[in-house]
Amino acid sequence: MERLSKIATQLEQNCTSAVDKVLAKHPDDVVICGAYRTALTRGGKGGFKDTDSADLLAGILSGLIEKTGVDPKVLGDVCVGNVLKPGSGVTEHRAAQLAAGIPYSVPFVAINRQCSSGLMAINHIYSEIRTGEIDIGIGAGVESMSNDYGPQANAPFSAKMSANPEASKCTIPMGFTSENVAAKYNLSREAQDTFAASSFNKAAKAQDAGFFKEEIIPIKTTITDKDGNDIEIIVDSDDGIRRGTTVESLAKIRPAFKGSTTAGNASQISDGAGAVLLARRSTAEKLGLPIVGKFVRCRTVGVPVELMGVGPAYAIPAVLDDLGLRTDDIDIYEINEAFASQALFSCQHLRLDMKKVNPKGGAIAFGHPLGATGARQVSTLLTELKRTGKKIGVTSMCIGTGMGAASVIVAE
Amino acid sequence: MLSFRTTDYSGYATAYSPFFDSTIAVATAANYGLVGNGRLYIVDLTPEGIRERCHFDTQDGLFDLAWSETHENQIITANGDGSIKLFDLAAQGHLPTDGRGGPSFPLVNFTEHTKEVFSVNWNLAERTTFVSASWDSSIKIWSPTRPQSLLTFRRPVDSSANLDPTATGSVPLIQTPSNNITINSHDSGSSDCVFSAKFSPHAPSILASAHSNGRLSIWDIRSPQALVMDIPVNGNNTGEVLTLDWNKYRPTVLATGGVDRAIKIWDIRNLNPASASAPVSQTLSPRAKLGNCINVIYGHELPVRNVSWSPHSSSKLLSVSYDMTARVWEDRADSTRYAPHMAMGAGNGAVTTFDAHTEFVVGCDWSLWGQEGWCATTGWDEMLYVWQA
Repeated sequence: MERLSKIATQLEQNCTSAVDKVLAKHPDDVVICGAYRTALTRGGKGGFKDTDSADLLAGILSGLIEKTGVDPKVLGDVCVGNVLKPGSGVTEHRAAQLAAGIPYSVPFVAINRQCSSGLMAINHIYSEIRTGEIDIGIGAGVESMSNDYGPQANAPFSAKMSANPEASKCTIPMGFTSENVAAKYNLSREAQDTFAASSFNKAAKAQDAGFFKEEIIPIKTTITDKDGNDIEIIVDSDDGIRRGTTVESLAKIRPAFKGSTTAGNASQISDGAGAVLLARRSTAEKLGLPIVGKFVRCRTVGVPVELMGVGPAYAIPAVLDDLGLRTDDIDIYEINEAFASQALFSCQHLRLDMKKVNPKGGAIAFGHPLGATGARQVSTLLTELKRTGKKIGVTSMCIGTGMGAASVIVAE
Repeated sequence: MLSFRTTDYSGYATAYSPFFDSTIAVATAANYGLVGNGRLYIVDLTPEGIRERCHFDTQDGLFDLAWSETHENQIITANGDGSIKLFDLAAQGHLPTDGRGGPSFPLVNFTEHTKEVFSVNWNLAERTTFVSASWDSSIKIWSPTRPQSLLTFRRPVDSSANLDPTATGSVPLIQTPSNNITINSHDSGSSDCVFSAKFSPHAPSILASAHSNGRLSIWDIRSPQALVMDIPVNGNNTGEVLTLDWNKYRPTVLATGGVDRAIKIWDIRNLNPASASAPVSQTLSPRAKLGNCINVIYGHELPVRNVSWSPHSSSKLLSVSYDMTARVWEDRADSTRYAPHMAMGAGNGAVTTFDAHTEFVVGCDWSLWGQEGWCATTGWDEMLYVWQA
């Protein structure tokens, strides 16, 4: 009967899956016009050891502008995540914006949610675009752990905070939270070393195949050699990836804290930056900008302070539930490897297919410049999604003082 | 919120009387309108709630209704059997208590459409005619005083998804006296269902129609080339356009709703071919111009079945959907208070979601009377709700 078939046809066209909904293109989507990063180099030793975070940021911002061809005047905001610089670099990084050729008329904001700061910067721009406050903006992250990492990064706690049992947990060093996770969820030293060795091997393979070339913008900088001479160099590749790392070689490293976390199965101290140009789709099309992906959604959740590493295990379901997606709808997971313990636990808790997790390695292999990581992951994820012809990716990280963040990104 | 149960009959349309502030009519159909009888309810808003005054039974489902603008007791209904019936409330119909009363017969039975009549709409500007739209692909203009239609319109038969640029210019526009409808009658009801046709409230000879082939068509019934605009609502895609409404304050602005779940706001004055996708504009004849989509409102999860602009505000819009909700939106496209891009976005313009219905919501109308913001909705859950947005 025509009446019934008519209604059935009208409805069946709309029986779209959550995946189709996420992939659908609408003019008010927030799209990614370009996502790049600098090389990540070893703290105190690598190519950026004498480069200030503001110089790194100026380099990545001008590189992003050149790559995407965006007119810096049209930007509505620049938001930069940073953890360690005093005031999260609110003054120095405004200077870097100006040095990169983005005029004073474009405002700047510094943002700090610990290791998720780079992602929070992107999400801040995303939210401003969604609410209509701006049309286009840059979310970035930068960290010079060589220059800014150390005791000066944390002020002493007040007597009241130290006396409060819950509040005082915020002073627990990250390494001890890693031990807490490993102990609570029975993650053996061997399991953690296996995870770490795999990260090194994947990263080495990806670097040899040139997979990082597309996402890295080379930065010209100066480095002081051992004789005190300033030498101009171009840094264009990650220098922390140790080749030939095996479970056996990692097993020889002694624990850094008390149990199973070692320098070999924890993230490296690094310098680096990442930057993402985001715009409303209608704006990007009007300006003729490249569209390489879509920033779909980001969520942050709180977790116990002393188990901060479990963050991804709770943040990923939060963002997937919002979108009606299941874990196996995701093609690639970029989960920050702050420690093998917490990354492994998060994957096991979510029963993730390990082949989908960090296919090019992670922070254990090439480093975790705290404020930069969230932005770095987006470029690493997008280039891999595009290279492999996949569509939906997730980035996630644990956050010191007990949080987790996760975002869903679609390659276009 | 007030409610009334149209027991055993699914609601398809509802409308406030233009003459009495407490009277509402509901067009309903048994068995979800798929097969069986229809019933026209007349209900009154009383201090004790909604009370049925009387009802009129028909032999096929009712899909739409329109109050006469000249006679306070007269109502026309769109019937599943292809007829349009004019009822007079003075003839009373069946009373609710005993199921009996005066005769339930219509004053006039207009029988020219050959398939389901899906919409009827009274001419608000000129008040003496009404328009019907049918699944037989025709749009007909009627006078309540004449049993035959005054005019019949059909879209050119080959103009479904892609118009052939060489052919469309030569296709004669069909505007024939109703006793001549066999000419150019292509029996193309399945290829082009007209889901809705409405006169402009600002210009008595302009009407708009919503088509199953994805077109919003604008007609000038005075013109020999009556089809003056032919807007592909979904660009190259042919998703059905199920409903339309003219803005009561902005004479060139319309809203459409359809299978793509989107409510689209059109300004037919600002014709900008670049605003729609280029391939479509190249396949259209010069006559079939493109409208300018000035806003898109996403939010409904299933097709949008009805849209209605507020009688009190140039920007408020009520929509109902298969997703079992009625929603009120603030269309910001015309507002200088917001940046233009603020118009877009599912959340940006949402005012209210009414979720009391438990089945498809199909019919809706705003109250012209009293405090602004009151409206009525009806649907397959056999309920009429009167609520304030």
